[in-house]
Amino acid sequence: MGAQVTGSRGETVWGLVAEHAAAQDRRPSVADVCTVTVSCAQVTGTWVTAASGGAADFVMAVSDPVSEQLAELQLTLGEGPCHDIVAAAAPVLAGDLGDDESGRRWPAFTEAAGRLGVCAVFAFPLTIGVIRTGAMGLYRSSPGPLTRAQLGDSLLLADTATMLLLDGAGHSDGDGAANGAGLDGQAPDLAAHRAEVDQATGMLTLQLGVPTAEAFARLRAYAYAQDRRLADVAGDIVARRLRLHPDPDPAPDGRA
Amino acid sequence: MDSELLSDTFVDLADTMVADFDVIDFLHLLTDRSVALLSASAAGVVLADPRGQLRVAAASSQAAGLMELFQIQNDQGPCLDCFRTGQPVTAADLTGPDQQWPRFAAAAITAGFRAVEAVPMRLRDEVIGALNLFRAGPGPLGPAELRIGQALADVATIGLLQERNVRRSETAAEQLQAALNSRVIIEQAKGKLAERLGLDMDRAFSLLREYARNSHQRLTDVARNFVDSATGDFPPPASRH
Repeated sequence: MGAQVTGSRGETVWGLVAEHAAAQDRRPSVADVCTVTVSCAQVTGTWVTAASGGAADFVMAVSDPVSEQLAELQLTLGEGPCHDIVAAAAPVLAGDLGDDESGRRWPAFTEAAGRLGVCAVFAFPLTIGVIRTGAMGLYRSSPGPLTRAQLGDSLLLADTATMLLLDGAGHSDGDGAANGAGLDGQAPDLAAHRAEVDQATGMLTLQLGVPTAEAFARLRAYAYAQDRRLADVAGDIVARRLRLHPDPDPAPDGRA
Repeated sequence: MDSELLSDTFVDLADTMVADFDVIDFLHLLTDRSVALLSASAAGVVLADPRGQLRVAAASSQAAGLMELFQIQNDQGPCLDCFRTGQPVTAADLTGPDQQWPRFAAAAITAGFRAVEAVPMRLRDEVIGALNLFRAGPGPLGPAELRIGQALADVATIGLLQERNVRRSETAAEQLQAALNSRVIIEQAKGKLAERLGLDMDRAFSLLREYARNSHQRLTDVARNFVDSATGDFPPPASRH
């Protein structure tokens, strides 16, 4: 396939997700992320689970039946790499489920995974600071760590899944701008986002009186509606040149 | 140089097994002490994200200019070169002609810096990040100070990657991602606290850090509890853990 040498790896990876979705004649979703992750990270299968407030996480997308079983096993057993990332808020990379440490940490899960022919599981939290949208899991039927490039791609694809889940978890109050903002043809580019974006998100939780995930969605929606860079809008908020209000102006761009 | 502070610093940086150890607080200690001990006016730590970028994990000051410098270094700058080569890199005078990193040099001068050193944070063959020392005046740091800067970076690298070994073994990649997510949580908390109390970001960070210290909690836990609390009250409700 034609190598895209321009732009960041994040843009390339997002391009693959968008391309895969377009080939299925649909908008990008975590299902596309799963498929692209299998090829980028050279694994056997992948799955994405979504957090649902206080209730148990649920399976959003899987690349194959074994992935679905692995996702559900961890939810029902309450143990496994995907279970552990909730507390750690960091990836859990189990390149060899047959080793002593994996057996000690997840006795029931490793046994069940072994019966499915699964040798390695890599779990990634779908988080932005305190915002937790779910988890992404990868498995391989042979043991061994991810290479650095595979790890980098997996993290970028986890970022993409995070943004897609945030958008999909949009509100039913007619705040349509928050849904899909920033992902129409754009790479989510979470790693490049600046401290100001996180600071502005924290400020907006109070300005708007909303939870962190919604504050972040509103920040992105505002930037999208104004056709401005997210980092620039965030910089204005942090510098107190801009405040957002709980009841958004119905036509903020009418006077822009 | 303050030799008592120097020995205290090595003791403090080695003291990573305490219950309230926090990786971001720890890296801030590294940058604060680097400024206190060496003839640097600002210091920062960047960590290598496997996504292919350098990310700021701690800085002695949150000054926008400093942050801007780190951003630029994703394209060019001494820190990026240091990270790529695994060797210390010195820019002794950023005002001279024929700058190796023209965009970086221009931004550094605007931010009030004329010289910068970058020393690598290395784990065996892998470079996990770099310690940057910014100076208001021109001239290199000098071999003795540079050695101390490298020693501080080395001790910090070990501390950073051993953080969780008490609990279980983790790869360096897992620990670096945990550190980077902690950074995001702290930035979200800084924003909320700054908004609540009408503070600038530096002052908001100091308050979070002081409160964590005084209450013997991890900085990241304090930040998380505050951001997650429905009210904007500070101090936040006690940790659930």
